[in-house]
Amino acid sequence: MHHAATMTYLRAALTSLPMMLMTFIILSRGKLTHDPRHLFALVTTFYFLNTLFFLMVKTGRTDRWRAILFTVFAVAFVISFISHYVEARGSMALSESEILECRTPFCHIVIPMTIIPLALTRTIIFPGTMTGVYAAIASMFIIWIGASLSLGRGFCAWGCFLGGWDDGFSRIMKRPIIKSIAKKWHYLSFAVLLAVALTSAAMLSPTYCEWLCPYKAVTEYVQVTSLTRLVQMIIFMTLFAGLVVILPLLAKRRIQCGLFCPFGAFQSFTNKISPFEVRVDKNLCVKCRKCITVCPTFSMSEESLDKGKARMTCIKCGKCIDNCPKGALSFHIKGTSLGDDRTGQRLLFLYPAFLFLSTMAGGNIQSAIVRIIGLFTTGSLLTH
Amino acid sequence: MTNRERKRFPAGRPYFDIGVAGRDIILSMDAFLLGLSNGVVCISYCAPVLVPYLLGQRSGVFSNLGIVARFLLGRLAGYLAFSVLAFTFHTALPASVAARGLLMGSTYIILSVLLVFYGLRNRTSSPACAARGSGPFLLKAGRLWPAFAPAILGLLTGLTICPPFLLAFTAAVVKTTLMDSVAFFVLFFCGTSVFFLPFPLVGSLKRLSVLSTVGKLAAGIVGLYYFYAGLILLLGVIKYS
Ligand code: SF4
Ligand code: SF4
Repeated sequence: MHHAATMTYLRAALTSLPMMLMTFIILSRGKLTHDPRHLFALVTTFYFLNTLFFLMVKTGRTDRWRAILFTVFAVAFVISFISHYVEARGSMALSESEILECRTPFCHIVIPMTIIPLALTRTIIFPGTMTGVYAAIASMFIIWIGASLSLGRGFCAWGCFLGGWDDGFSRIMKRPIIKSIAKKWHYLSFAVLLAVALTSAAMLSPTYCEWLCPYKAVTEYVQVTSLTRLVQMIIFMTLFAGLVVILPLLAKRRIQCGLFCPFGAFQSFTNKISPFEVRVDKNLCVKCRKCITVCPTFSMSEESLDKGKARMTCIKCGKCIDNCPKGALSFHIKGTSLGDDRTGQRLLFLYPAFLFLSTMAGGNIQSAIVRIIGLFTTGSLLTH
Repeated sequence: MTNRERKRFPAGRPYFDIGVAGRDIILSMDAFLLGLSNGVVCISYCAPVLVPYLLGQRSGVFSNLGIVARFLLGRLAGYLAFSVLAFTFHTALPASVAARGLLMGSTYIILSVLLVFYGLRNRTSSPACAARGSGPFLLKAGRLWPAFAPAILGLLTGLTICPPFLLAFTAAVVKTTLMDSVAFFVLFFCGTSVFFLPFPLVGSLKRLSVLSTVGKLAAGIVGLYYFYAGLILLLGVIKYS
């Protein structure tokens, strides 16, 4: 018995070794700093990431550990992003002149709005910089293409720097107060995608960013200089409170990501090219519906159980797999047969997914730690 | 305007500052944009009429293409009839900018509320859709003049006076010449037609119902936009009168 437990630890540790090596290279960027605050941040982040990966391998649970990192990442991102911009321009608000000078940081949610105008006019309808700076357009596109090819919509559980907010809030309550949401609303994000893609193409400006993005409340917003800007600000705050905080709390689902985000809807199509999917073994499934009730993005339904796989909106978070009492669900590589080496297939998914999340989150978590140390020692989150 | 500003605020793009914007929304609202947003509604309201007809014919992609082309020509004819009507309305409009703003603003608001209402409702077709309930007539027409049946169907959906179409009509009424009005409706037609392009490939009614739900919800969102445009018009009128 004792020997078996030791072997499990040993196996998990060995499986985690490549991840330790890769995360160390990513976090340190190949060189060790001598500044004690940065060194502390590096070591803490390294242990934090690798403990979580080790636990994923050891316990066989995915979402439980992923969600911790994903939520910490979202909070760390906001701390580091806002501080960075307050340092760079003195305020969280974006001025009209900065927009005209194309100095707005680019975010992946804009991508579906840029595609039609890019094809028609060969210009990116976003006032950002192509290369070189923080959140430049080209680097975001490259990250997105890479993530889409490997993870598909897994981006929304393993890469998005905003999704951790509604993910975090959706886990606070023990039981949901809103138990079901009419099926029609499961298609809302596709309607938002359609509406913003068309209006953006017609107006040559990213309408979702200007009018509907709830995350403006915690990242940056345009200075309130007119009634229009005020109305936009009120919309952002209301959507953040409703879609990111209150509804996820009450329904225990990722309402913003599952029902509203146009990027999420758009990203669903990339699930078709990703090699990974979540499958149901119909021989093991007893139709207890547990997976349908826990799925944060409404991607499991009676229909998907019959079909034997999650809907195309699946973000590959692994929550249904963690919760299935019969072990009927698994991460699966397309083209292989369902019973084939489940642990191996899961690991083949976990390595790229976790590495991607570590790459996206690592820098932000380190930066947030350095700033929080600064807050305690100098009284400010700003480093200069 | 600098080049950069021109890129961000191209001609025809409404921008929202009280006063100037109110007039600009009327004068420069792009007909194509209206067509595109109305086309979203077409998915939900017109498609349930056209697609079962297409499926009923059980023909291949190429002959479906022919049917859709005739259908679209019928729609164009309907829209051209409306362009003449819009111009006739224009001549009857009050001359003062304030009175027009008031009229247009309140029409936008009323119609956009209707649009949002239809977007949230669970019915499958608009009560005002002229093509709705035309099944028996079409069957007869299809038997008598099979080649014209899609065009008649197109004409009927073109003559629809559902809320989204009325919103477009409201925007067209301010065109000062008949040619402007015709051009507006042709562009509007092009915008709506984009959505009909995949129709020849239509193969499943189940997909259609998903498409219809997405279209209706999107129409509701576009309705919110029109609501805001109407509100800005009214506020502009109040501020400058
Ligand atoms: S939780 Fe597992 S057993 Fe229950 S319905 Fe889902 S797949 Fe089937
Ligand atoms: S189906 Fe499973 S893996 Fe996919 S989003 Fe839902 S809970 Fe996550």
